[in-house]
Amino acid sequence: MVEDLLASSPGLLNFGIFFLLATVLLLVILGFVTYAILAERKVMGFMQLRQGPNQVGGRWGLLQTVADVLKLLIKEDTIPKAADKPLFILAPVIAFAPAFMVVAVIPFTDKLQFADIGVGLLYYIAISGLSTVGIVAGGWASNNKYALLGGMRAAAQMISYEIPLVMSVLGVILLAGSLNLNDIVDAQSNGWFILKQPIGFIIFLIASIAELNRTPFDLPEAESELVAGFHVEYSGFRWAFFMLSEYVYLFAMASLTTVLFLGGWGPLPFMDFIPGAVWFSLKFSLIVFLLIWVRVTLPRMRADQLMEFGWKVLLPVALANIFLTALLKELVDFM
Amino acid sequence: MSLSGEMIAFIMLSLVAIIGGILLINLTKVVHMVIALVFTFVSVAGLYVLLSAEFLAAVQILIYSGAITIIMLFGIMLTRHNDSNEKTAGLWRKLMLFAGIAGFGLAVYAGIYNLDIPVQETKLHEDNTRQIGMALYSDHIIPFELTSVLLLAALIGAIILAKKDDEEKEGEE
Repeated sequence: MVEDLLASSPGLLNFGIFFLLATVLLLVILGFVTYAILAERKVMGFMQLRQGPNQVGGRWGLLQTVADVLKLLIKEDTIPKAADKPLFILAPVIAFAPAFMVVAVIPFTDKLQFADIGVGLLYYIAISGLSTVGIVAGGWASNNKYALLGGMRAAAQMISYEIPLVMSVLGVILLAGSLNLNDIVDAQSNGWFILKQPIGFIIFLIASIAELNRTPFDLPEAESELVAGFHVEYSGFRWAFFMLSEYVYLFAMASLTTVLFLGGWGPLPFMDFIPGAVWFSLKFSLIVFLLIWVRVTLPRMRADQLMEFGWKVLLPVALANIFLTALLKELVDFM
Repeated sequence: MSLSGEMIAFIMLSLVAIIGGILLINLTKVVHMVIALVFTFVSVAGLYVLLSAEFLAAVQILIYSGAITIIMLFGIMLTRHNDSNEKTAGLWRKLMLFAGIAGFGLAVYAGIYNLDIPVQETKLHEDNTRQIGMALYSDHIIPFELTSVLLLAALIGAIILAKKDDEEKEGEE
């Protein structure tokens, strides 16, 4: 269905259909974010021998996040007097828009995808880099020392870890021979890339946690050092936008990991009677759980350790992985 | 010239690119200028997409989003925040400047209006990532390698410069 739409001629009707589909996707993602936050708090609670939210909305706290969002919506919206007003307003928008834009290229099943771009993977990485600009701008516009420090850390961290992220994906690109995410999923029909690229997967996972600004790499918003990091001065709905972009990136990054390393919507052998969408959501949930697990169990790194780890460990290992992959690929082809 | 979707997209993207450029020159605060620059670069990437050069568009954003963030950091660290540009030009100079710009505009318009670019059948837009890779690693391999050596030299140079500063500081203390 979507393929026909993508190939159809442009017109007002098609524009309307796309607009509607995008709105539906946005609502689905908002739903995901609502329950991802709840899941995170619940899992975190159980892992730390607590209950987690259990008051609002029954025993499982199912309406807790909804109540939180309502609270944020009716909260007073404060802008500090000394802040750089236009930039302060613009920054959450710059941070959020790319987060939603990257979701467009992710193939959820072989039929459900919003944009089939030849350079899909590159598009994802390029667009997600734009969020950093929003975060730094927000940190600067707040006119607050802690916010500025958080913004600076965010810039340093996200640029440093983007390089191992790209390098670890190069192994997958070498094996699949394409930057298109659909082709990458197709190339995994006889063996997921997590088996052929174990080193690449580990590097990708670490670098993606750093890109997502989650513990152990959550230095830009380290509560014990910077109060709240780049969004200290934000309140109400603007603050919600920063949080929203963070969780939408969680959604997008978990989907990307599924597509790149876990075979996307592809089933396990002999189990292809289960539809692709179910497979995708199972693998996706597994990755989200893994990310929450890492967040709960590991302490925060120090800023200099973070930089050293990125440049002196991850980058050389990623380069070695590319070299090894290319060598093995040539040898296998040769034999 | 019909008003197709492509035309509308082109007009919007070029407007954003030009407005971003003008704001970059006219705004007074460094960080605002950098944000204007972001808009210009992103809409130039959009223009590449319209020309079906999707690889170029993605790389444009990939490289410049990192570069812009770095420019922003330097802008924050190396400039005085309350600094604003001083107005220097007098009326006479402004008039001369306007005449120059108008002359340039007229010359370009006259040159471009009747320019006839023969349309060739090309296959450059199909699978252009592969084509760029092929061209880089076959026909243009020597310039490509030279560029990488140049970048490596720049990288090492930067490291040496940064290192020297450290040692001098340690000596002073």
